[in-house]
Amino acid sequence: MADSLTTVERVSALAAHYKPTTESQSGVTLCEVRQLTLWQLAVWPDTLEAAATPALKGVGIDAIPGFCQAVSTDTVSALRIEPCKFWVYGAQLAAVDANDGAVLDLSHSRTHIRIHGPQATTILNSYLPLDLRERSFPLDSVASTAMHHVGVTLWRSRQGYELFVPRGFAVSIWELLCEASEQYGLTIT
Amino acid sequence: MTGSRLPAGGLIDRSQKVSFSWDKKTLHGYAGDTLASALMANGETVFGRSFKYHRPRGIMSAGVEESGAIVTVGRGNRRDPNVKATTQELYNGLQASGQNAWPNVRTDFGAVNNLFSRFFSAGFYYKTFMGIPPMEWGKGTGIWMQYEKLIRKAAGMGVASREPDPDTYEHGHRFCDVLVVGAGPSGLAAAVKAAQAGLDVLLVEQDFLAGGDYLNQSSPEAAAKIKSALEALESAGATVLTRTTAFGLYDNGVAGLLERVTDHVADAAAHTPRQRFLTVRARHTILATGALERTVAFGNNDLPGIMTASAAGIYANRYGVLAGQNVVIATNNDSAYAPASTLLNAGAQVTVLDARAALSESVAGMLESKGMAVKTGSTALNASGKKGISAIETAEKNNDSWRAGSSIDCDLLLVSGGWSPVVNLLSHRGVRPVWDAANLCFVAPEHNEPVQMAGAASAVWGTSDCEESGNHAAEAAIASINSHAVAGRGNVVSGGWDAPIAPLYEVMVKGRKLKSFIDPQHDVTADDVRLAHQEGFVSVEHLKRYTTLGMATDQGKMGNIIGLALMAEALGREIPEVGTTTFRPPYTPISLGALTGRGKGAHFKPLRRTPMHDWNLANGATMTEAGLWQRPWYFARQGEGITEAYIRETITTRKTVGLVDVTSLGKIAIQGPDATELINRVYSNAFAKLPIGKARYGIMLRDDGIVMDDGTTWRFSDTDYFMTTTTAHAAKVMVWLEELLQTRWSDLKVHVTSVSEQWAGSAVAGPNSRDVLKDCVEDPNTVTNDALPFMGVIETRLKNGVPCRIARISFSGEMAYEMYVGSDYAESMMDLLWRSVQSYDGCLYGTEALGAMRIEKGHVTGVELDGRVTIDDAGLGAMASDKKSYIGSALRQRPDLNRSDRPALVGIFPKDRSETFKAGSVLCAENKMEGHGEGWITAVTHSPSLGHWIGLGYITGGYQPWNGKTVTAADPVRRGNIDVEIVSPHMVDPSGDRMRG
Repeated sequence: MADSLTTVERVSALAAHYKPTTESQSGVTLCEVRQLTLWQLAVWPDTLEAAATPALKGVGIDAIPGFCQAVSTDTVSALRIEPCKFWVYGAQLAAVDANDGAVLDLSHSRTHIRIHGPQATTILNSYLPLDLRERSFPLDSVASTAMHHVGVTLWRSRQGYELFVPRGFAVSIWELLCEASEQYGLTIT
Repeated sequence: MTGSRLPAGGLIDRSQKVSFSWDKKTLHGYAGDTLASALMANGETVFGRSFKYHRPRGIMSAGVEESGAIVTVGRGNRRDPNVKATTQELYNGLQASGQNAWPNVRTDFGAVNNLFSRFFSAGFYYKTFMGIPPMEWGKGTGIWMQYEKLIRKAAGMGVASREPDPDTYEHGHRFCDVLVVGAGPSGLAAAVKAAQAGLDVLLVEQDFLAGGDYLNQSSPEAAAKIKSALEALESAGATVLTRTTAFGLYDNGVAGLLERVTDHVADAAAHTPRQRFLTVRARHTILATGALERTVAFGNNDLPGIMTASAAGIYANRYGVLAGQNVVIATNNDSAYAPASTLLNAGAQVTVLDARAALSESVAGMLESKGMAVKTGSTALNASGKKGISAIETAEKNNDSWRAGSSIDCDLLLVSGGWSPVVNLLSHRGVRPVWDAANLCFVAPEHNEPVQMAGAASAVWGTSDCEESGNHAAEAAIASINSHAVAGRGNVVSGGWDAPIAPLYEVMVKGRKLKSFIDPQHDVTADDVRLAHQEGFVSVEHLKRYTTLGMATDQGKMGNIIGLALMAEALGREIPEVGTTTFRPPYTPISLGALTGRGKGAHFKPLRRTPMHDWNLANGATMTEAGLWQRPWYFARQGEGITEAYIRETITTRKTVGLVDVTSLGKIAIQGPDATELINRVYSNAFAKLPIGKARYGIMLRDDGIVMDDGTTWRFSDTDYFMTTTTAHAAKVMVWLEELLQTRWSDLKVHVTSVSEQWAGSAVAGPNSRDVLKDCVEDPNTVTNDALPFMGVIETRLKNGVPCRIARISFSGEMAYEMYVGSDYAESMMDLLWRSVQSYDGCLYGTEALGAMRIEKGHVTGVELDGRVTIDDAGLGAMASDKKSYIGSALRQRPDLNRSDRPALVGIFPKDRSETFKAGSVLCAENKMEGHGEGWITAVTHSPSLGHWIGLGYITGGYQPWNGKTVTAADPVRRGNIDVEIVSPHMVDPSGDRMRG
């Protein structure tokens, strides 16, 4: 989400490399979700409930997600990326008392790539050594993992796979995803 | 042997003619053929020349165990040598040629080697060149070096393309409950049973058709069984991969697969990878990998026209090719009678030599009804013929030995010496197979791997027994996954022949000298094994290495058992006492391209781009690599090279102002009530009293007292810090802090988070840098000397409204500011700053100018902080606190780290100021080039401020003891030696007035 006091447009890491396809093909659809709003909430083991419950409630999330899981409303999601760290996707977090925890804006730190279509799992598994079968990685599963030497975060949402790539590596990872997807029919929206 | 296509039958599609070329001749086959079956149907007999002796070789099998028909496929940059013609699927436009022959496989001048073959026995080269007099007096190696090239040219296999591989390959990861390897009768049964029990099944088959031995049976029932199994698998949701080899089995149920995606088509669809290297993680693995038929060692047993009995059956039944008209079969077991009957039905004349004394009743009955000639107590002794077999001299049983018998004319000799279950994959797990004395083969022992052997791989021979064995393996896998005991019945009993197999490994007659091959791929003969034994190589592992038996692509598939049997005989022991060698992956060869996958060329490593990467390029940057990062190296203007560019950039920055991308510095957010405590413990200098709104330079040590990294830390509040690290050590510092918090100081309430990617950083340096900032920030009053003094920090907004954080920090030695904005705003920050910098006649600069300026100032980087130096060595000891404990504070007091003669940081000038010198030179006392010298040079540059070359380095005792003395910078293999002077490392503006400006 853009800062309200500036009219400067945010420029995505993929901006110069992003070429939407003209025809739509059936295998894999890749899409960069721009204007990422991603805030981290970090709490301490003894303040987990006390800090996370009100902070998440503040963005409309009623439950603390379990380890490696996400909880979503229509617009906002909370991803448990470490035992004491949450990523809030789609909303800014208000500051919390430092004794309870800390919030941090990471909106510019990741490039958000959404992957869906019948071959989405195959494409991810070209690089990710992660069991993505429905029963092992069901809806709202979250994993910190690695693809092509880069640490990434993967979340299975209702829209498909949501991949958060460190911004500096985004072009390399994007190119690799596109190259591997071409054989199955690639749509870039 | 002259093969011919049968008028009907087989699993080939006779409506689809396929044209291909063999040694530049255009030939035709059908869809469903292998290269071997098509060549055989075209009457071709010689496919290659052997490794050492250049003997003509033909088709010896119908599968991956092939040792004769090893050919080159493709041309130009797609030339693949050592392809087994028996596994290469035929396609339109396939180009293949014989190898290891000149001018061609039919007329090969290298065949002269065969005449001298007794010189080329095992160990020939070692003995000739390394050991025996007169070579042993130190001359052997030299002579070997001379002859090696010629020998290597004469020996060997095909030649790989030297051009870059144009194809793409990819990796993949697959997960399943049960991996079934092999889609024959037992594999299909196992896969169906497991899939129907609700398990996630992956069935892989190296052949291009599923079916295994069903494919060789030429019966409608067999075809129906394949069809119904595949349908059952599909409806149960199992995955079936054909053309996919499980080449290795590893820890925790991991299997390596090679899927050959386009090796069977001439023009692959664009973007389709040629091969996939798949890593499978299975909870349970069923190896239904079948068995390989062995040959027997007898004279000239490598002549074209000699193959395994089952192979001839396969060519007839599956490919509709009759391998010969006049067929002799030498066997020691019942399995050869099925192909015998197939060939007889196809119109060939068949004579069977059965080494056993008597036949089982079922076999005998079948024979009489068909009119097949059978001689018991008889086998093959010596084959004759020039480029193919024309007659076989028989051996007749004579009590416990053989005597020469009669000669029988033939154009095809089939051999069956028994069957070896494919236990290779289980052997990869370190499970040593055990000898099954009833079936004369190695089988899997009891073991603890989550692996089940099924079918012929467990020495079960009959088709229905194999199906039953597959069912049993599936039940065991299901039980193991669901953690319950296997239901009642035991496994299928191995074996299944009516009459027992008789041992037959080598046929010899006293006084006869025969050339009997046991590993035709490497031209290893029975005599080689005996020679190895005579020379003391009695361990089977030594035997393998001395003779090369079972090495390379064969991996012990064909020759091993005969070799072991001969060694056992020579030692007077039994085969199980001699043991077997360890099978190692890969089962069949895997290309390096597949192992590499997509990680090549531009994607060898991921590139890490700063948010102003494209902006830098658009403004004329030449980039360089800093770890994975791409950083601007210099911004050359018209007519400039790197030297002119960095000197201009340095001068301009020191004179007015320069702008540089510093995003690659590591950045860490440190948050929490104990943040100050953490920082104070990891830095060697005092941090507890750093005021809010200030930054401080800090040095952190390792536990052992050596410098780990340096950087700055900015304080925004009591509980909120921003740490910068060097580009090189960003990840190391981040991991170090996490490790400390998680393992040593879990009581500290601090969170560290990498924000390297969140913030885009630029540095504005030079006398006019403050004016540039005033132009660019929302409120110029926030960046005055009072509001933002040296080491001051502010959070504000740029003129365009973009939020930013600025610290007045200098690496260049000029008045300078580091400015950070959210990465997506990087280009807008650079646009704004660059416009202003240009108005002061400033410049963009890169890492080369940055390096020049920091060397002038004596500021250290990773090349100086190389993991060997202390904080005192680097001249920064005065910063270290003596009032607190911190990481490394105890061990930095070690006596050895406090010796006064340790090398310490110094500046270096050439004595003749017009001279240059190089980083990496060794500093020595004048003209005393000895040992490791007195020190070394870490970095050099032309100093525009001083007008000559300067350097940084370390020398014993530092600057004082060398003051006024001449030192030699020794660089014997590059630049040569030059005289230098040792000076203070602070070579420009030592008081720091420019920086504080």
